[in-house]
Amino acid sequence: MLKNILKKKEFTIFLMIIIFSLIVTVLNSNFLKIGNFVDIAKGNVVYGIMAFGMLVVLISGGIDLSVPANITLSSVICGELLVKTGLSLFPIILVCIVVSGLVGLINGILITKAKLPPFVATLGVNSIIMGLVLYYTRGSMITGLPEWFRDFGVMRLLQVGDFNIPIQVVFYIVAAFITYFVLRHTVFGRGVYAVGGNPLNAARVGYNVDQITILIYVFSGFMMGLAAVVNTSVLQGVNPNTYAGVDMTVISIAVIGGASTLGGVGSVLGTVLGTLLMGVLQNGLIMAKISSFWQEIIMGIVILVAVSADIISRKREQAKLVHVDVDESEEVL
Amino acid sequence: MGKFNDTLSKYRTEKNLIIIFIISFAILGMLRPSQFLTLSNISSMAYQMPEFGIFTLGMMAIIMTGGINLSIVTTGTFIAIISALIMTSEFAVNSPILGIIVGLIVMIVMAIVTGCLNGAFVAYIGVPALLGTLGTSSLFQGIGLNVTKGGAISGLPSQFMAIGNNDILGIPIPMIIYIVVIIFSHYFLMRSVFGVHLHMVGSNPRASEFSGIDIKKVIMKAFIYSAFMSALAGMVMTARYNSAKVDYGSSYMMQAVTAAVLGGTDISGGTGSVAGVVIAVAIIQVVTTGLNIIGLDRNLVDISIGLILIVVLTLRHFSEVSKNKKLIEKRRASS
Repeated sequence: MLKNILKKKEFTIFLMIIIFSLIVTVLNSNFLKIGNFVDIAKGNVVYGIMAFGMLVVLISGGIDLSVPANITLSSVICGELLVKTGLSLFPIILVCIVVSGLVGLINGILITKAKLPPFVATLGVNSIIMGLVLYYTRGSMITGLPEWFRDFGVMRLLQVGDFNIPIQVVFYIVAAFITYFVLRHTVFGRGVYAVGGNPLNAARVGYNVDQITILIYVFSGFMMGLAAVVNTSVLQGVNPNTYAGVDMTVISIAVIGGASTLGGVGSVLGTVLGTLLMGVLQNGLIMAKISSFWQEIIMGIVILVAVSADIISRKREQAKLVHVDVDESEEVL
Repeated sequence: MGKFNDTLSKYRTEKNLIIIFIISFAILGMLRPSQFLTLSNISSMAYQMPEFGIFTLGMMAIIMTGGINLSIVTTGTFIAIISALIMTSEFAVNSPILGIIVGLIVMIVMAIVTGCLNGAFVAYIGVPALLGTLGTSSLFQGIGLNVTKGGAISGLPSQFMAIGNNDILGIPIPMIIYIVVIIFSHYFLMRSVFGVHLHMVGSNPRASEFSGIDIKKVIMKAFIYSAFMSALAGMVMTARYNSAKVDYGSSYMMQAVTAAVLGGTDISGGTGSVAGVVIAVAIIQVVTTGLNIIGLDRNLVDISIGLILIVVLTLRHFSEVSKNKKLIEKRRASS
């Protein structure tokens, strides 16, 4: 039992979080304060929610580069609805989720019906949607959100001393459970793993690969819509120019969390730990007073190392499998 | 005459592209003749197109291997920043020519290093090109930011500025560089042994491996070529702006993918034509410049680039489907 836990990828990530936290604590003791961890949580749930969408896409062997445009679109819609209409929270969330889901639907249709490779389809959609949103907003910020939304943004549950749970974390937990349930306990979720493992085999077993692929990108869109509302509640304003390159962060989180870029592998728990590691990493850099210019370098190294490690370990596993086959045949002889 | 028809059918993509070029040029020319059809506009296009075209050729080589290179622009600006740093350093101020020579040598060395880095991750470790180059792109940009602290490096020697802004016998120097690059690329990517291997690896890596081609080496070489193109385009861009900055040319990434695909490069690898890409680059340049002159918002120009990419690929897919259908019917009828 213990051996199995130690062998798991999730445990390695957990260990990395502990080691990194220790290093930062030595450099700056403020890091370990409960208030700091609450801040880390509040600041990273948005990336975390987006990473769930990316996780599902990566498991299926695809990639979603339309993430920046999609969250910008929903953030702007969320901001406009808050400022210009009297809609309450849940209708706004619903509208954002549906709109971002529609962007995902476009991605899915281009990938399945026009047979565009996922990265080209989503790259193209990203540039179109981003262009439209920036044209509409003229790149200006949306501010002056209503009072009730400001109160909602700073809502905290279970306040005990320094410890509390920001309302955004509740949304994160809900998103995590939904993703977990969808991946583990629905036919669609099993189909995602099947398609990512081997699309041809998935089709032979009877999965409708096209339908599943479209739904995957729609699901990714749903998560972007939810993330947009949560992000607006954190920032209390919308700046449409700040989301370019967010896809990099989101992919990094999912990949650090053990999702394979070759498809078929990935878990919600891993992604949660990946988000935590990324959050601790970014917060730690600030705590250790390292220039923000270094962040991009470290992000690049993180993604390269995480993807390389995954590929190398997969190759080793395959080499082992070949070995086993040979041994068995010798026994037969 | 028969031979002429053969050539025409062999270069069908190129022929269609030339027609598209003429049509788009004519439409934009008719819409704004007083601004579009002026010598100054055409000359400004001739100064802008080379850097974009060289970036696109670098992108095309990687798409031909079946991958994508998201680091073309960041590689270019990164190398340009380091070279600019050398050319503006103290010893270069005293002897500008020596400074430029050292800067160019550094550029070549760095092109090889960055190309090898991408190639090592993609070919030897097996990282998908998309993610490998996304990672290195962030790495290069981060180093560039660290060096420049987000600002621009300016004050380059005037002899270097000439590369981007002067002409020889009326032909802009960037254009001359571009033409040399086109001729070299045509022979390197289309006619050389490496070019044949590149086509084979892109269309069927497994089969090429079994026929004795070192796939890893081919992909590695393609990435080094791509990095060279990035470095060159970055240098031309720096010379034109007379400064180097991290976010120069960031819109070229998307445009390069679109131009490469429009030029007939198969997005899943294998086929591609330098001639086609060169014409496609001219089309995109004319369209973006034309739309700017008409007064279309910059964001709407970006949208049209994305639309062109998706529409071209979708049309290509459905024409392929109908072609296959016709073939099947033909065979059914004959049997």
